[in-house]
Amino acid sequence: MSAIVAIATVELRRFLRDKSNLFFVFIFPLMLILLLGSQFGAGSGQPRVTIAGPGSTLTQALTAELESAGVDVTASGEDAARADLRRGRTDVGMFLDDADAAAFHAGRPAELAVVMASQSSAQAVLQQVRTAVQAVGLDRSQLAALTGAGIPEEQARPALDQAAAQVAAPTVQIVDTGDVVQEFRGLGKFDLGASQQLLLFVFLSSLTGAATLIQARRFGVVGRVMSAPVSSGQVVAGQALGRFAIAFVQGGFIMVGTALLFGVDWGNLWLSALVLVLFCAVSAAAAMMVGSVMDNDTAAAGVGVGAGLVLAGLGGCMVPPEFFPETLAAVSFATPHRWAYEALSAIQRHDGTLGDVLPELGVLAGMAAALLVLGAGLLRRSLNRAL
Amino acid sequence: MLVEVVQTQTRDVLDVSGLVRRYGELTAVDGVSFHIRSGETYGLLGPNGAGKTTIISMVAGLIPAHGGTVRVAGRAMTPSKTEAKRIIGLVPQELAIYPDLTARENLKFFGRLQGLRGRELTRRTNEVLELIGLNDRAGDLTKKYSGGMKRRLNIGIGLLHRPTLLILDEPTVGVDPQSRNAILESVERLSVEGMAVLYTTHYMEEAERLCDRIAIIDEGRVQAEGTRDELITLTGGVDRINLRGGGSMSRAAEALRGLPAVQHVDNDGAGLILTVSDGPTALAGIVTGAGHAGMSVTSVEIVRPDLESVFLHLTGKALRD
Repeated sequence: MSAIVAIATVELRRFLRDKSNLFFVFIFPLMLILLLGSQFGAGSGQPRVTIAGPGSTLTQALTAELESAGVDVTASGEDAARADLRRGRTDVGMFLDDADAAAFHAGRPAELAVVMASQSSAQAVLQQVRTAVQAVGLDRSQLAALTGAGIPEEQARPALDQAAAQVAAPTVQIVDTGDVVQEFRGLGKFDLGASQQLLLFVFLSSLTGAATLIQARRFGVVGRVMSAPVSSGQVVAGQALGRFAIAFVQGGFIMVGTALLFGVDWGNLWLSALVLVLFCAVSAAAAMMVGSVMDNDTAAAGVGVGAGLVLAGLGGCMVPPEFFPETLAAVSFATPHRWAYEALSAIQRHDGTLGDVLPELGVLAGMAAALLVLGAGLLRRSLNRAL
Repeated sequence: MLVEVVQTQTRDVLDVSGLVRRYGELTAVDGVSFHIRSGETYGLLGPNGAGKTTIISMVAGLIPAHGGTVRVAGRAMTPSKTEAKRIIGLVPQELAIYPDLTARENLKFFGRLQGLRGRELTRRTNEVLELIGLNDRAGDLTKKYSGGMKRRLNIGIGLLHRPTLLILDEPTVGVDPQSRNAILESVERLSVEGMAVLYTTHYMEEAERLCDRIAIIDEGRVQAEGTRDELITLTGGVDRINLRGGGSMSRAAEALRGLPAVQHVDNDGAGLILTVSDGPTALAGIVTGAGHAGMSVTSVEIVRPDLESVFLHLTGKALRD
């Protein structure tokens, strides 16, 4: 047993010692999850309005009205607001001045300068700004009418609020009828990207890491190991455990890192970890196969990247499989990624229990067992080849 | 402890009998037998491709033999016999170390595989680092080492668990003269300390300097075996004459074969190597004969019998072939 642990430990140590591995295994996945979450994650389409101008009751009223409509409002200087518009960092810019504020305060009409950014989403946001301006203007007109009729403002305001409370405001409820939209309901901004990248990188890194197996044969280390009082079974087991440890360290890091840094909700952690364990076992076995069949470590790394990306894409780790056409969706179940994706989806989105994900876990365990048997056989043959 | 007990039970640390290994139609090792006693350094001398490394691989239990037996300290050695492997230390021809680990990490890893643990492992690691002179660089990655330092570490790993039998497969290949001398001195010291050493080389000087007994290997067979002096008597006291020069060397070789004193002529491309019964007496006739045959002789060397001569005598070809 100690020989197995020694071999596994040295494999893990060598993997972690490679500085390029540290970037691609630990930093790059988190960067990608951050980028994808920011661009495409849930809530990334929130409308943005920048208000430039002096602080006033008009600014406060517009901000409150827009925010109540779910708009992300930012106060800014005029130059900064124009820069944000140019760069697409905001959808609509409102440029208010002292005259606008004074007219609003006095209950007089005012013309507000509004600039729309060039992105397509800005048109809809502009409509939300119009609605907010009308609502604020209506409120102000009502107040002006009451105060004009001789009611003091301190009485008119509560009266208007009371009247508003008695009228049930019309609401619009958007109901998603599509399965796809329902599927992603309630997901956090980074949740989907995190689970996809977790699977992509664990498998990819395992395959590319298979190059170390080939190097060990090429360096003659395998021969030396086999001259020690160690059986070939122990060597195979040590290599398998080493591959598994590499995959699990990376997977665990991504899970913990995204939970802490981006607030990713992995659902039931024990269950998600169990999915990861089985997926790592599949990845480790696949790595053993690549490292056993091939004799050129550079070529093996290239094959690892290629195969890792293709399988990840097919398994739904690039585009969610919910968007796949029917045939592609069916084919995707040939990859371990798809089964792990399904299991994580159930746990993350639907509070899935062990019973819910048992079929997925069973398939992953079966894949891991089959590949381990095959990988161990191939590795044993490659050891003989090395001698 | 196991090693000490075993040593007292048998005189021969290694007993190889009728060893055979085939690769398809090719018989790489064909009925090789020899034995090594404790404290003895035994050399396998032969050119590249003679079958030395294949013999070593079977002795170390890396590959199975297709015939014959290997017994290490009385225990049968096959790839599955892990207990017998505890007794040997293998130093392979290639640098079998991890370049992305330090010397200390390499030693500890291989030490763990040998069953060393805890303080014993640390103590042995430190001792070996001291022995191979890498204490100061023990924490450096071995890919930063010079070729000689890597070679020393390669040997150190084989010594880590204090084997009864140390197997060195061409340990000085590609090593600078200074490191080579240091390695040879280390092997001499180990032998004095009682370790049995199986040493393969194609360098005659190393075999002559280190080995108590030598087996001359060619085409997978032991051509002759014995001490240096015993082997040299096989040549019948003949001398070797090296003629260097240009011109028609093949015609000269043909002509010289006809001289009564000449027993054998080998053309290595750069000159002729002759085996003659009495070199100093025959020299004048040989140089004249070579000149008449169209060879322009630029240098002449008479070499008294050595292992190179023995090899030439036994196989009809030079050791470097």
